[in-house]
Amino acid sequence: MLDTLFEGFRLVFQTDVLIAIIGASIYGLVVGSLPGLSATMATALLVPVTFYMSPIAAVATIIAASAMAIFSGDIPGCLLRIPGTPASAAYTDEAFAMTKKGEAETALGICLWFSALGGIIGTISLIVMAPLLAEMAFKFSTFEYFWLAFLGLMCATLVARSSPPKAIAAMFLGLLVSCVGIENPAGTPRFTFGMTDLLGGIEVIPVLVGVFAVAEIMRGMALKDPPKIPHRKFGSILKGQWELTKTHKPQQVRGNIVGIIIGVLPGAGADMAAWVSYAMAKRFSKTPEKFGTGHPEGLIEAGASNNASLASGWVPSLLFGIPGDTITAIAIGVLYMKGLNPGPTLFTEKASSMYALYIIFIIANIIMIPLGIMMIRASSTVLRLPRYTVMSVIVLLCAVGSFATGNNLFLVVLVAIFGVIGYVMEKNGYPVAALVLGVVMGTMVEQSFVTSLIKSDGSIIPFFSRPVAAVLAAMTFAALLWPAVVWLMKKRRAALEPAAR
Amino acid sequence: MQISDRISGGGLAALGLVAFIYGSKLPPVRGQPVGPEVFPMVVGAGLMIFGVLIALGIGRSFEGANEVVAAEDGTTVEEKSAPFDLLTAFKVALPPALLLFYVFFSERIGFIPTAFVIVSSMCLALGARWKAALLMGLFAPPVIHLIFAKMLRVPLPAGLLPMPW
Repeated sequence: MLDTLFEGFRLVFQTDVLIAIIGASIYGLVVGSLPGLSATMATALLVPVTFYMSPIAAVATIIAASAMAIFSGDIPGCLLRIPGTPASAAYTDEAFAMTKKGEAETALGICLWFSALGGIIGTISLIVMAPLLAEMAFKFSTFEYFWLAFLGLMCATLVARSSPPKAIAAMFLGLLVSCVGIENPAGTPRFTFGMTDLLGGIEVIPVLVGVFAVAEIMRGMALKDPPKIPHRKFGSILKGQWELTKTHKPQQVRGNIVGIIIGVLPGAGADMAAWVSYAMAKRFSKTPEKFGTGHPEGLIEAGASNNASLASGWVPSLLFGIPGDTITAIAIGVLYMKGLNPGPTLFTEKASSMYALYIIFIIANIIMIPLGIMMIRASSTVLRLPRYTVMSVIVLLCAVGSFATGNNLFLVVLVAIFGVIGYVMEKNGYPVAALVLGVVMGTMVEQSFVTSLIKSDGSIIPFFSRPVAAVLAAMTFAALLWPAVVWLMKKRRAALEPAAR
Repeated sequence: MQISDRISGGGLAALGLVAFIYGSKLPPVRGQPVGPEVFPMVVGAGLMIFGVLIALGIGRSFEGANEVVAAEDGTTVEEKSAPFDLLTAFKVALPPALLLFYVFFSERIGFIPTAFVIVSSMCLALGARWKAALLMGLFAPPVIHLIFAKMLRVPLPAGLLPMPW
């Protein structure tokens, strides 16, 4: 155990890994702080670069960039009332209200300090939970994996905050995309229409870059330039944070726990965690009327929550290959690419790599504080950059980056196609995260489904007769029927209300 | 790009039907109860069912109920109020169009000229002045080329303007 831990430290304290952490942190801080560029997009654009790194450096890049981007999204939220990433949107008004009251330093300090604390607590949850669940996962057969994957897909559609049929249809569309190619149990070419480029299937990376980066740029084209930020001198950022930490214990505990739970749920990530935690903070507050006027409570709870969800999102990703959010969906792609295939064996055979991963998480959240303070001080300069400087380069990076993952121009075509698909879907209320989840998990769902059916000779009884499988099946059906129940209850309440009057 | 739910749902259902029929025609594996045909059929059937549900407008109440969520990226509120005229449509279509431009031209004229066109036209579409757009187009591509071709060893086409490194 101690040997593995030391080995983990040795893996992290390599020059290339440390450079990767610092570089990715600065990149994440800058991109996250630019309005309209999300943490997911920042991470997706890094994937082609990780292609050329050692496995640990690649994972470190993803971890550091995503953690920094989620915090950094709070900066324009505080100063301009424009969230830098969707994960900051929940409490942007609150933070901006504090800035208007002349408490910009405190607001930014809360975002930074409690983001870092939340990130560390989320990491501890990952360290504790993952090995325990790995023990359990060793006993799973393809039947359980099938239900687990299916449940993951259902959860993602449930939490999508859009019409459930649209979310489920988006997920099926993703599964259909994953059918393309010869990567299926029989090796038969499917949906290739005689094109050799499609034989290998549609890779996850061009899909991700398309729906997250290109579609986001397309949306940004229709927007006006954000207002120019006034130059300002900041006072001490961390002043008073320790007092707030001591006086706001329940908010932190709740924020961290909610963030961890939401992170573990497949498909729900930092944005969702922030929304739920902000709402919870208001509901349990003794002074709910102060919310929206620059009150630190909600900021503390939601700021901790979105960063805590980041680390716990890695739990289902590492154990089952089921992404906890869109960022880990990207991370799973990187893990496979680097031979760290997700699964419980990762915790036994590659234990030192797992320790390295934990250490990177902790380091990233600690250096977030000094780097974050530097970023806040530099923000009035960075945020004054005209939008075209960054957005034009990102389009070029989408082309070069996707080309680099396979040295094939067809990948660039795919990026363009999925950019358009992502844009149209988003405009019409179809959640793109559900599509991505379908693409990422399609092969796994099919493989566990077909292998199970072959094992049982075509019978579906073993899907329900094994105890764990039965429980997972029940949960899946509950998730499937839940929207219908909610809808019926709403209808009944609506019918009862006029009668009561 | 607002499409009515009837059209998008109907389209998805039709896609599901095509996938179902295509799947059913795939050759089964001899001696095995299930083969490569099953999964596309299941997915196709699912798409058909939920496509029809969308076309019928089921579940729309969930979209309306979550007004707050529409502002999830904080900008959707403004986006909706902006009129969608021809110029905006052209601007929105520009990024994917430029990607296709890269596909068709990078090998013919080389990376640097292609990248110049992409970066400069994006800058102009986003309201940059001519001078700024030209400067961006001249300076950004060599930097990207240096990172990807030199440091990451991606074979970017040299074309008309090979770089000295």
